[in-house]
Amino acid sequence: MTVNDRETILQRLKAAASHPVPPRPLLPPLPEMALDADRLREVFVQRLTEQGGEVHPVANRAALLETLGRILADEQVVRAMAAADKVVAPLDLVSWGRQVGVEIVTPEAYPDRDGYARAVFDDVQAGITGADFAVAESGTLVLVHDTRQARLISLAPVLHIAVVPVDRIVPAYETAVTAIYADGRRPSQVTFITGPSMTADIQATPFKGMHGPQKVIVLLVG
Amino acid sequence: MKVTTAHFKATARVELGNARTQRFLQILPLRLSARRNAAYASFADPAAAHAYGQAIRGEGVARLPELLETFEANARANGARVFWAADSQAANAYIVDLARQKGVRYVTKGKSMITEELGLNEALAANGIIPWETDLGEFIAQLLERPPFHIVGPAINIPVEEIRDIFIARGVMATPTTDPVTLGRAARRFLRDKFRDLQMGITGVNIAVAETGTVINVENEGNIRFNKSSPRTLVCVMSLEKVVPGMADALHMLRVLCRSATGQAAGAYLSFDSGPQRQGEKDGPEELHIVILDNGRSAMVRDAHTREVLRCIRCGACLNACPVYGKVGGYPYGWAYSGPMGQVLTPALRGLSDTGDLIRACTLCHRCKTICPAGIDHPATLLYYRYKDVQMDPQFNGRGVSPLERLTYRAYGLIGSHPGLWRLLGRAARRVANRHRRNGAIQRIARWTDGWFSSRDLPLLPRDTFHDRWRQRQAATAGPDKYASPDAAPRRRKG
Repeated sequence: MTVNDRETILQRLKAAASHPVPPRPLLPPLPEMALDADRLREVFVQRLTEQGGEVHPVANRAALLETLGRILADEQVVRAMAAADKVVAPLDLVSWGRQVGVEIVTPEAYPDRDGYARAVFDDVQAGITGADFAVAESGTLVLVHDTRQARLISLAPVLHIAVVPVDRIVPAYETAVTAIYADGRRPSQVTFITGPSMTADIQATPFKGMHGPQKVIVLLVG
Repeated sequence: MKVTTAHFKATARVELGNARTQRFLQILPLRLSARRNAAYASFADPAAAHAYGQAIRGEGVARLPELLETFEANARANGARVFWAADSQAANAYIVDLARQKGVRYVTKGKSMITEELGLNEALAANGIIPWETDLGEFIAQLLERPPFHIVGPAINIPVEEIRDIFIARGVMATPTTDPVTLGRAARRFLRDKFRDLQMGITGVNIAVAETGTVINVENEGNIRFNKSSPRTLVCVMSLEKVVPGMADALHMLRVLCRSATGQAAGAYLSFDSGPQRQGEKDGPEELHIVILDNGRSAMVRDAHTREVLRCIRCGACLNACPVYGKVGGYPYGWAYSGPMGQVLTPALRGLSDTGDLIRACTLCHRCKTICPAGIDHPATLLYYRYKDVQMDPQFNGRGVSPLERLTYRAYGLIGSHPGLWRLLGRAARRVANRHRRNGAIQRIARWTDGWFSSRDLPLLPRDTFHDRWRQRQAATAGPDKYASPDAAPRRRKG
């Protein structure tokens, strides 16, 4: 058994002569905080598009499902996994998929962890999730992972489709994070997603879809 | 990882002669610097954002023990297990033990300089556990057994032919190609299998939040998210200075870090982990182990200069700003940390016995200090190390100077403090030097001065010194005046 060096390290740190904490200058302003809802929406769409994301505005549930069907057909998706979060679950995509001829599965269909992993890695071509927040400052989707929002759905499939109600758009990270961690809540994982996975590690040649999704498509509802 | 800091000059010479390296260095640092500057311009007030980030890092270092205790308490409350490691042996032993106990045959890793510092891959391999680097650049560097060329792109300089050959040799792909994208896709497929069946993942930590017990990672590829989501056991290794007081501080540092490192407003993925998966969650680790590493850092805190080096957030902006890095690239620095970042960190962690060239490979131009989002004064720190080295400071394993150098400076001091001697020798030196004139300049004097002359000429020295000419000028104009040189005026001797 290895020895935990906690006391030694803390003692050494505390033994060092204490020195004053440098004063904090003024917190720099976050310009997005001053924007109204329409402008926030524009900024979010613009920044996400700059980061390689795709945004499809849809007016209502019917338009959402229609656009979703078209995207899945265009991307030749025969099977997709949908999260059970508060945005996606009410859409009942499993039944909808049966009607339109796309198989939609949910993590609940796989009682054991390994079966779920095989499905999300190998059997589906798209992951469909909601988003807890959409941050205008950098075109970022915020996903809070819990029993209804499994982590790998937005990561393992080559296509990530996120359904984002417009009222989830917030100006800055602070707005989202304050709400998420309020009242001592500590979700096991929170992920900020800004566009598709990418790399430029070989000869500085950039390409999308290194390990995570090659495409991120946002269906902006409302 | 093999430490080659002692061969800085030899490696630098090789890299200076490497046409590919030179071609790359003409583009990469400039491009990253330009991107960083453009990204900083997206701040409403770039100078204020810069200063605020520096203050956060300064506070983090000033409040270290207290913040670490708070972080630990909150991480434990979230269900994480926290292990404090005094050195690399302790950290490696803990991780190897854990891997053995879980019966894993392999682990995957996110890019982390800290595990390079630990030599964790070697420790795992020596115990029969295969470590797979999963960041594309680190994966290539690992297969080729190369140190990182740049902290942001560890293998960005490696020719595609070399990547093709190693990928074929190691079974990463079957059909040869030199297309960067096809090579990347091959690595994706190869590593995807590892992720799917993964039992244990290892990542570094970019920021640890005391107030919530959260560890944060920044990336673009998604490999770190796989490491944190797929396996049942996750180990996050953090050097003890990564801690910041609150979540708001972390958010500001993320903005500054992403802009400084890659010129992005945000990396593609920022992941915030507070403990392991909760009851009923489909994925995520059943056990989250956080290793807090000291490895010499608590000693750095005792010294006012080295303490401030702990502000570093490993963004790599200083590499792109550095004229020396811009010529020699990352290999000469000889360890996990290259560029000005490595020049201030490596000597503090490893002592000066093998890093004498590292602390002298600096022109003191101050570009790194200006660009540093953490507020580190690299040039002043390097001067401090040089002083400690010359003083043979035992704390730093200072090496002192050679007897010849000591004698030279003692003689210089003696001559410089005796004007008569100075004038006499000055006159003699001019005559000797001018005897070596060639093509209207002095290009060489003797073998022992070749170092100085290797990159510059000396203009011919005039027969008369400034003082001589001043006296002549005074003699030509009438009478003595109050500005007469002290040498020319009669002097009364002391005592």
